[in-house]
Amino acid sequence: MNTLPVGPAFALSLAAYSTGALASLAIWRKPALCRYICCGSALAGASFGGLAAVLGILQGAPLRWSISSGIPLFAYSFDYDALAGFFNLTLAILAGAVSIYSFGYLKEFEGKRNIGFFGFLFHLLLLSLTIVFTAANAFLFLIGWEVMALAAYGLVTFYHEDRETRRAGLLYIVMAHIDAGCLLLGFALLMQVSGSADFASFRTAAGHLSSSQQAVAFVLFFVGFGIKAGVIPFHIWLPAAHPVAPSNISSLLSGVVLKAGIYGMTRVFLDGLGVLPSWAGLLVLIVGVASAVLGVLYALMEHDLKRLLAYHSIENIGIILIGLGAALVFRVAGHPQLAGLALIAALFHTLNHAIFKCLLFLGAGSVLHSTGTRNMEELGGLIRPMPVTAFCFLIGAVAISGLPPLNGFVSEWLTYQSLLAGFGATGGLTRILFPLAGSMLALTGALAAACFVKAFAITFLALPRNAGSRSAHEAPRSMLVGMSWLAMACVALGLGATWFLPAFDALTEQLLGQRIGSNLISSHGWVLSAGTPHGGMVSTSVIAIALLLLLIPALLVVSIAARRFASKRGPAWDCGLPGLTEDNEYTATAFSKALRMIFSVLYQPRREIQTVFDVSPYFPKAIRFESEIEPTFEKRLYVPLKDLLLRFATRMRAIQAGSIHAYLAYIFVTLVLLLLFGVRP
Amino acid sequence: MTFLQDPEFGDRIITLMAALVLVLQIAAVGQRWLVSSIRIFAVQSFLLAGIAGIIAYFNHASHIYIAAMLTLILKAGLLPWLLERLVRRIEIRREIEPLINAPLSILIAGGLTLVGYVVAQSFYHPEETSVRGALGHNTLAVAIALFLIGFFTMLNRRKALTQVLGLLSLENGLFLAAISLTYGMPLVVELGIFFDVLVAVMVLGILVFRIREAFDSMDVSKLRNLRE
Repeated sequence: MNTLPVGPAFALSLAAYSTGALASLAIWRKPALCRYICCGSALAGASFGGLAAVLGILQGAPLRWSISSGIPLFAYSFDYDALAGFFNLTLAILAGAVSIYSFGYLKEFEGKRNIGFFGFLFHLLLLSLTIVFTAANAFLFLIGWEVMALAAYGLVTFYHEDRETRRAGLLYIVMAHIDAGCLLLGFALLMQVSGSADFASFRTAAGHLSSSQQAVAFVLFFVGFGIKAGVIPFHIWLPAAHPVAPSNISSLLSGVVLKAGIYGMTRVFLDGLGVLPSWAGLLVLIVGVASAVLGVLYALMEHDLKRLLAYHSIENIGIILIGLGAALVFRVAGHPQLAGLALIAALFHTLNHAIFKCLLFLGAGSVLHSTGTRNMEELGGLIRPMPVTAFCFLIGAVAISGLPPLNGFVSEWLTYQSLLAGFGATGGLTRILFPLAGSMLALTGALAAACFVKAFAITFLALPRNAGSRSAHEAPRSMLVGMSWLAMACVALGLGATWFLPAFDALTEQLLGQRIGSNLISSHGWVLSAGTPHGGMVSTSVIAIALLLLLIPALLVVSIAARRFASKRGPAWDCGLPGLTEDNEYTATAFSKALRMIFSVLYQPRREIQTVFDVSPYFPKAIRFESEIEPTFEKRLYVPLKDLLLRFATRMRAIQAGSIHAYLAYIFVTLVLLLLFGVRP
Repeated sequence: MTFLQDPEFGDRIITLMAALVLVLQIAAVGQRWLVSSIRIFAVQSFLLAGIAGIIAYFNHASHIYIAAMLTLILKAGLLPWLLERLVRRIEIRREIEPLINAPLSILIAGGLTLVGYVVAQSFYHPEETSVRGALGHNTLAVAIALFLIGFFTMLNRRKALTQVLGLLSLENGLFLAAISLTYGMPLVVELGIFFDVLVAVMVLGILVFRIREAFDSMDVSKLRNLRE
């Protein structure tokens, strides 16, 4: 079986991304040609990357390529194992869809913005992600990681003339550096123990880690990867940075770049640090629950379509972490079967979230492209001018809400099953935490559904609320192709879950030593089973068929009724106030009012109404209404932190004299003292 | 001509040349004419290239010849020429008063030489030294002294140009230390250092012009005005 050309396909995809990057820069003066090259080479790279990933997964056995660099501790080593293949597949699916979409999306940049520079950063991002997902050397990984952060920064600040964009970019780059610093320290600790920067050596050295070293390394990696993944409380950069980027990039940032954090956690926690103690797994689980619930609660209050999606990314990262944390707890408790279930749930949700979040961001991008606004309160009625976009967005919304029979349902169902099984399989505090996490996950799912009812209904239904949405038009064909491809993937992964899940066999065998993916398929081949005692069984295909069957009588009733009673058209019921306009429509704020009241402890909502009147308050001239919720984490955690830092910096300014001689003197005195200190007898 | 193969002889030559290098360095501390400072640096670099050549000859380390040649061409030739041209262009011949006056500076330089010897002492183990290691054990002390005095020159002078000279003689100290301890670092490292120095001189050369344009003076103390 080792004849599959994984290596050549992988090398070709790296080559396609690199040439794409350079070619885009080289021909930036010809925007039209540049657009073709940019999207074409990205598509080629994605196809080769996807081919390599599929072949790698079929092959099963891990592959390794290594080129020595001549520099100590550094080598160009790549590991193409099941985990790398899985994340590369995710990347390839998204990169392919985004490059087709970009073909239409970038057209409006022509003559206005530098497509060459955009293409360069875009390819650099894809290239660095591929390297991050395959690197087997700590330094190569870190280089990929930093290039990824810088390319993402360049893309986030692409509309740099906007002040909000620049602020978001600054916040992003600061957080990215804190996270890279944590990773550097973590890897330094591992390198000190193993004496090498190779990932394989970390695996063997994991046994020599003392428990305190393991704990420190775990915390460093968790913070480092957690910032990149946007878990609460390190999430503040995410809702700022993702919405301001061009929409095709937002979709990649939310779809894949966040997943780099998940990849890192999976790689290090399950593969590099030995068996982590159970508190580590519980910490991941609790952080996951907090991110899921708070993420969706903040999303509910958001009226900016793209920010809403960004908050949903926090929620879904939380769901993934719940699965990952459960897998860590089960592994140390000696339940590899359950650990496999939880891990598959987490990784399957990673893939699913990547696909539907990318789809939703692309949909939001089409809306923005067509109407020029991200504010939902100004949109409305877009289903008529943009039917395909609306349908694709609806598919994404159903999938992200975890409704059967789409893919989001399958992975959330698997997560539930692992949490419920955890109640029987563990003891003590853990035993209580699992069902609690399960109920929180249920709450999250319900709130997410409510949030997407709001997002879809306010954006696409009813009457248009401003001129932009009245004159909306359908997106160009290439953008629709990009979106439909992802929508089809959502449906396929949902209905064909039983066919897809055995592909995780190699992955669980590599990380947990058991082939578990196939166990989740019951003997009929169409039914998913949790494979646990008292575990549930479900079949998405049967649900889909049942839904279709239910549709038939409904359609029958409607058609018979329509024949029996001749249809009449009349004005909508207007409560006796004739002349309803779009101003009378239900708004997003109104829709989320009930939840704002229920969760007012968390939101701390503030409302201000000012009435301007001449003579009597009964005859107001104008009413000003303001409503906002408190950004708790920014206000309670980050602002005090920032103040502390600034105070410290002001103190430190005393030695910052601005004189070269003073600086030289500092260095000189330190040097002489250190020299004398070093040779003291 | 048997003495040409005798390491003892090589050691003496090197010690003599290193001593000369040190004397030149201390002379540069008291020197106030810019052109003279540059020429002192050129002679010093020439001696350094000689030391490198001798070490290469007695240790049969052929790659050190390349380092010696580079030193000769770059530091004894190209850089002094560039700096002298700069001096002609900006038409400033003399350094204004340094922060610490000349006699005291020379005293401090003497003290720093002492520090160099104290530090180098701990690296000197006569009982372990082979013939090969004996070659130029004095040079480490000189190298450290050179480094410290170069640094002190940077600290003491006001003009960007003389600070460049301080940096260059500091780098000479590093070169001497590297060559006397390891008998030559890998060539890649040497080339990297040379390139660094060259770029530093370029950058500082540009900086000198800019400072003069902006402040009508070469005095780096004026950079303080940029603070607010």
